[in-house]
Amino acid sequence: MASTLRLFASLLLVLIFAGPGLAQTVNVYTAWPESLSQPIFKAYTAKTGVQINFLRLSTGELVARATAEKNNPRADVIWGAPGDGFAAAKEAGIIEPYKTANIDKIPAELRDKDGYYTAVSRNTLIFMSNAKLLKEKGLKAPTSWNDLLDPVFKGQIQTADARTSGTALTRILSIYYAFGKDEEKAIDYQKKLHKNVQVYTKSGGGCTVPASLGQTMVCIAHMPDAMEAKKKGYDVVVSFPKEGVAAVIEGVALVKGAKNREAAVKFIEWTFSKEMQDLLDKNDVYMLPTLPGASIDADVQALMKEAKLLPVDLEWVGKNRKRLVDRWINEVIRD
Amino acid sequence: MVVWAAVLLFVLYPLGRLLVLVFWNEGPSLDAVRGLLGDWTHRAALVNSLVLAALVGVAGTVLGFAFALLAVRGSLPKWLGRALDAVVLLPLISPPFTAAIALIFALGPRGLISYHVFGLTNVSIYGLSGTFLSETLTYFPIAYLTLKAVIANIDPNLEDSAFSLGARRRRVFRTVTVPLAIPGIANAFLLVSAASLADFATPLILAGTKFPVLPTQAFLQITGLYDMRGGAALCFLLLVPALAIFVGQRRWIERRGGSYVTVTGKLGAITRIKSLSPVAIAGLGVLCGAVALLVLVCYSLIAAASLVKGLGADNRLSFVHYAHVFSGGLKAVRDTLIIAVLCMPVGGLFAVVLGFLVARTEFPGRRALEFAAMMNYALPGTIVGIAYLIAFNDPPLALSGGALIIIACYVFRYSPTGIRATVAQLQQIDRSIEEVSSSLGAGSGETFRRVTLPLIAPAFFAGLGVVFIRSMTAISATIFLVSISWTLITVRILENMTEMALGPAAAFSVFVIVVVFVVVAGLSAVLARLRAPVAGATARSFLGG
Repeated sequence: MASTLRLFASLLLVLIFAGPGLAQTVNVYTAWPESLSQPIFKAYTAKTGVQINFLRLSTGELVARATAEKNNPRADVIWGAPGDGFAAAKEAGIIEPYKTANIDKIPAELRDKDGYYTAVSRNTLIFMSNAKLLKEKGLKAPTSWNDLLDPVFKGQIQTADARTSGTALTRILSIYYAFGKDEEKAIDYQKKLHKNVQVYTKSGGGCTVPASLGQTMVCIAHMPDAMEAKKKGYDVVVSFPKEGVAAVIEGVALVKGAKNREAAVKFIEWTFSKEMQDLLDKNDVYMLPTLPGASIDADVQALMKEAKLLPVDLEWVGKNRKRLVDRWINEVIRD
Repeated sequence: MVVWAAVLLFVLYPLGRLLVLVFWNEGPSLDAVRGLLGDWTHRAALVNSLVLAALVGVAGTVLGFAFALLAVRGSLPKWLGRALDAVVLLPLISPPFTAAIALIFALGPRGLISYHVFGLTNVSIYGLSGTFLSETLTYFPIAYLTLKAVIANIDPNLEDSAFSLGARRRRVFRTVTVPLAIPGIANAFLLVSAASLADFATPLILAGTKFPVLPTQAFLQITGLYDMRGGAALCFLLLVPALAIFVGQRRWIERRGGSYVTVTGKLGAITRIKSLSPVAIAGLGVLCGAVALLVLVCYSLIAAASLVKGLGADNRLSFVHYAHVFSGGLKAVRDTLIIAVLCMPVGGLFAVVLGFLVARTEFPGRRALEFAAMMNYALPGTIVGIAYLIAFNDPPLALSGGALIIIACYVFRYSPTGIRATVAQLQQIDRSIEEVSSSLGAGSGETFRRVTLPLIAPAFFAGLGVVFIRSMTAISATIFLVSISWTLITVRILENMTEMALGPAAAFSVFVIVVVFVVVAGLSAVLARLRAPVAGATARSFLGG
């Protein structure tokens, strides 16, 4: 009994003090699915020998956690999370400005004006519809925001909850810009859309499985969600509203007080190299690279020809995000 | 003393840190709470949470009672009883999102049952109905486990006496069986309602925006609106009903105190049980059979998803998802198993010691201790997770990033089931059994070891089992505590679900279910051996009666 106890105690001690190893490492928090981020991190390790330890969290959890750890940061870099998360991180004082050497090549609308965060890639909003259900009802995939208001779509649309999902913010922004930056019209439209919505999912990609399996007809989500479904063999159609959609940035930032700052900075520099930016295409990430001249996935390129991308003003979004979400809670979803 | 210190450190201290966060804004301040009450979604969430907890509590307890009655008094063939046990345990031992998602597959707009069997196209699974159904299915096994032990402990001879006094079946049931099971029923209701109050995984998927509930709302406030203070304040709102349920239940039991002793050491021969008519058994059988069937269908769908390439798209048999579990997912599997195995003995022991202290000893602050120990269970996991993160990030208590913080979280969050089981068990055991031991010259330590311990062993193993099950399946608190060095299967499942990797998610779920099943089966084998003294015969023999 005593020896069991001793064994137990020593095990516990090991557990308490066991942290990440001592070899050169960068600790990363990311909101990207492991299937997208891990090949990229592995490529970096293969090239430099630097180990990337990462933890995947949803954007909100990521910010909440990094804020709680502010006095003793566990992560060095936040890599791959939507721009609104970075706006919140900037406000919470958990990231510090860092400008990459390539900063001048990155278009100004894809980075924070004070240099707190920079876009790794851009992520486009799409409509994804279940082909079989469309056929059953003799419908075509929606090609206008107004198509979605048709009563045939009642209870057949799933999309993300604005309180948890960056995708939802992209949707709200898309609508805002598509309606000529007229906020009242945008809110009014969303109220009408709400009547056709079956459920708002908590994660941005939450509606892709239901749409793939026919539990719902239309899912408003991001490009990678739909392309993954297609790749898996589900019969889904991707379409865009002719009025246009917004694309959000997926950013990177240096954590304030990062313990492995030097290695972290090197990793951020690599993020904006052509080598890494080309990986977005090579690894089927289905996002648009931010470095001009980096290669773009052929399928994405073909699809993007149909899409009308609306320019997003990051600074305006940073200032107005909370109000847009509040109005969504208090006006749009309030029956 | 040690118990108090542990509770202080791992329950009260983190909560204190959180309190400061909520009520301290450069001075004492109520602005966070005031801000909440002005918001319609939060007001609706408070009401909804209470309604949902009450509904799930009642439905779960009724269902649990029905299953327990059928299992204990239904004279079922042994294999059927075992099979029923196995099916009933499924929702309890599967990761939280699994039941909700399986239910969508079964009863959603194109679900297997709703569409393919009944041809319905307009079913609504989102909102109150779906959440209620899913939570009831997930949590009634708690009531079942609690009540099964209690009903099994009711001496059939008491019912016999009633029969011999001329009472009819229904009257015996109403005036003997049910009243004797009342501490168990109250316990079951408390545990199920508290579980529903704190559950965030199910509403996260099924409640939608039409039916906001507090834990989900707190989660949204923190992770979606980046408002930690508001989220924490919402959780304190949740403390009020949790406290009310707890206090109410205590009062109720105590007012009727004393009359629940069913293990006295003076039992007669075991007689054939006749408190249930064949008709009643048939009715119970139909009800329980239907519920069990629904559960089975749901989990068959999960199993199917894990065994095909892509459910609905490519239905060819494939083991790629399991290959993934044991390659890419191996670290999560290993970490989870290590943590769960470490949690089990610690949690079980803590539960029994605390339960014993509360039920059998007198010391100042006894009630406070019991209440404090229940606190982490009643609170939504999100808030416990955040509190732990805040409290244990800085030296000298820098536990975050390690396994200990996850272990502590599980032990203090999930041993209350064991504590309640111990207390309930002890309330049924006549104190005189222990007094006999003392008067025969045994010290209190020896009495505890040789008399009390064997009597509460079932509670110990039940508590141990629950801690293990939860360590394998819980997510809401620990999602904040996993780190770069220690990750968990449930977190991987959630990730897979959100990135639409249904196959790996299902494969991970099946793996968890199988592991837990094996462990639970092992525990019940141990329990079956220990059951004997509690059931009467051996108790009598070792007391020399």
